[in-house]
Amino acid sequence: MKEVVAVAVNSLLAAGLYATMSYGLAVIYGVMRIINLAHAGILMLGAYATFTLNSRFGMDPILSLAVVIPVFFGFGILLYLGLVRRLPRSSSGPSIESLLLLFGVWLVLQNLAYAIWSGDTQSILTRYTMKSVVLLGVRVGIPTVAVFAVSVLSLLVLQWILRKTYLGRAIRAVTENRDAAMISGVNADRISAVAFGIGTAFAAAAGSLLATMYAFTPDFGRSFLLKSFCIIVLAGMESVAGVAAGAFVLALLENFVGGYTSLPTSFQDALSFTLLVVGLVAFPQGIVGAFSRFSRSRRRPGRA
Amino acid sequence: MRKGQGRLLAIEAAALVLLLAAPRFFERGTLNDIWNVAFAVILASAWNLLGGLAGQVSIGYSAFIGIGAYTTALLSLAGWHPYATLPVSALLAAAFSFVVGLPTFRLRGPYFTIATIGVSEAVRVVASGVSFTGGSSGLRMPAGSFHFLRDYSAMVILAVSVVALAAWIQASRFGAALRAIRQDIDAAEALGVNSTKYKLLVHALSAAIVAVAGSLFAINFQYISPNSVFDFRLSLSIVLMPIVGGLGTVAGPVLGALLFGYLQIKLLSSPALRDSYLFLYGGMLILVMLFEPKGLLGLYHRLRGAVTRSGARTVPDAG
Repeated sequence: MKEVVAVAVNSLLAAGLYATMSYGLAVIYGVMRIINLAHAGILMLGAYATFTLNSRFGMDPILSLAVVIPVFFGFGILLYLGLVRRLPRSSSGPSIESLLLLFGVWLVLQNLAYAIWSGDTQSILTRYTMKSVVLLGVRVGIPTVAVFAVSVLSLLVLQWILRKTYLGRAIRAVTENRDAAMISGVNADRISAVAFGIGTAFAAAAGSLLATMYAFTPDFGRSFLLKSFCIIVLAGMESVAGVAAGAFVLALLENFVGGYTSLPTSFQDALSFTLLVVGLVAFPQGIVGAFSRFSRSRRRPGRA
Repeated sequence: MRKGQGRLLAIEAAALVLLLAAPRFFERGTLNDIWNVAFAVILASAWNLLGGLAGQVSIGYSAFIGIGAYTTALLSLAGWHPYATLPVSALLAAAFSFVVGLPTFRLRGPYFTIATIGVSEAVRVVASGVSFTGGSSGLRMPAGSFHFLRDYSAMVILAVSVVALAAWIQASRFGAALRAIRQDIDAAEALGVNSTKYKLLVHALSAAIVAVAGSLFAINFQYISPNSVFDFRLSLSIVLMPIVGGLGTVAGPVLGALLFGYLQIKLLSSPALRDSYLFLYGGMLILVMLFEPKGLLGLYHRLRGAVTRSGARTVPDAG
C-alpha cells in the first residue's frame, strides 16, 4: 500500500513538470500545425540560462524564471518572425519542411551552447537541493516539490489566459479553425507569433526547472523532447487538462516500471519511446487523428 | 527518357573505370578521401530512396549501419570471411526494417519522422547496454581481414551500382508508385497503389544497402564501437546529404555526398571547424528549407533557367 502511495505521489510530482514541458510543444502545434523540434534545444538553453544566472549572479533557480520566461518569450517571437513565418504555409497537417527547419535550429542552438558553456556536464546546487520533506508518508526532495508547485502555478496562469483574455480566446480560435478565426477578424499571423513565444517560454521554463533536478550538457533535452511528444500524442491537445492527464499517465508508467521491475534506468527511457510509438500507432494519423475527431468536417474539403 | 538513361549509363561506366584506375595514380590519402565520399554516396542514395523518392523522412538510419557493421565484425570473429558476411548483413537489416516499418509506416509525414527518432534513440540505448557490442570498448576485426585495395574497390563498385540502381528505380513503375506516395498518399491508394507494401519494400531495400555499407565500414576501419557506428555526425549527414543536394533525384544525393565528403575532410583537418559542425549543418538545413527546398540541384536548375531567360531577352527575335 505504502509503495502504491509512493508511486502515485512521485508520479503526480513529475507530471506537473512534464505538463509544462509538453504544453510548449502543444501550443505551437495547435496554432501553426508545426512540430517544433527545436523544443529540445530550448529546454537545454533554458537550463543553461538558469545555470548562468545562478552561478554568476547567485540567483535562485526558481526565481530565475522571472528573467528566463520573458527573455525566451521574446526569443520565440524572433524565431517566428525571422524563420518560421518565411516557410510556405501548408493547409493540411504539419509539413516536413517546418520540421527540418526547426531541426536545423536545434543543431545551431546545440552548437551555440557548446561554444559558450563547453561540453562539460553541469548541474545547479542550491541550499535546498539535498533537503527533503515527507508528503503522505513519502519522502520527496524539496526541489521536486518546488518544481511541481511552480509548474502547477504556470499552468493555472495559462489556463486563465486561455479562458479569460482576448489573446487566449484568439489562440484557441486559431487552433480550432484558422480560416474561421481570420474571417472573424483575428490576426492569425500575430497570434502565431505570440503562440510561438508562449511555446518557447514554456519550454525554457521547463528547462530551468529540469536544471534543478538533473545534470545537463548541450545534448540535454532529447529524451524530454520525446517524452513531450509522447504526452501530446497520448492526450491530444484540446485542453491544458488533457495535457496534464497525459503527463500523469506517462509519469505513472515510468514510476511504476522504475519501482516494480528491475529494468536499468537507461532502459527506462526507452519506455516513453515505446509508448510514443504505440500511441502514434493507436492514433494512426498521430495528433491530427486525435485532433480531427473534433474537426473532421473541417479538414475534408481542404484535402480534396 | 531513354536517351537520358543512356547518357547516365555512360557516365556511370566512366566513373567506375576512373575510380577503379585511381589507385594507379593517387596516393593512399587521396584514395581514403575517395573511399569516404563513396561511403557517403551509398548512404545518401540509399536513404534518398525512402526519404526523397517516397517522401518518408527517417532519422533512424544509423541503426542499419550498426547492424551491418556488427554483423560483419561478429561473424568475422567467428571465422567467416568478411565478404561472406555481406548478404547476412543485408538480410538482417531488411528484417529489422520490417520490425521498424510495420508499426511506424501507419504514421504519416512528420509523425513517422518523430517515431524514427524514438527508434534510433532506443537502438542507441540498447546497443550501449548489451554486451555483444563490446560496450564502450568496441570490437576489433580479426587480424588479416584488411586489404585496402580490395576494400576500396568493393566500396566504389557498390557506390556506382547504388547510383545506377537509384536511376533505374526512378524510371521504373516502382519509382512512379513511390513518387505517387510522396505527392498524395490518399490519391495513390485510390489509384490502387498499396502504399504500405511499397514503403516496406523500399525501406527494406535501402536498409539492406546501408547495412552493406556499414559492413564495408567495419572491414575498412577494423575497429567498431557503438560510438563510431552510431556517431551523431554520421546519422545526421545521412539525412542532410540528400536534402542539401536535392531530395528525390538521382544526382542530388551524389552532389550532397560530394559536398559533405569535402566538408568531412575539412572538418577533420581543422579543430575550429570541427567544433562548429553542428552550426554548419544546422545552418545549411535552415538555408535550404527557407530558400531552396529542392536543394543544390534545384538551385542549379533555377540559375540555369535564369541564364537562358536572360539570354532569350537579349535576342528577342529568337525562335
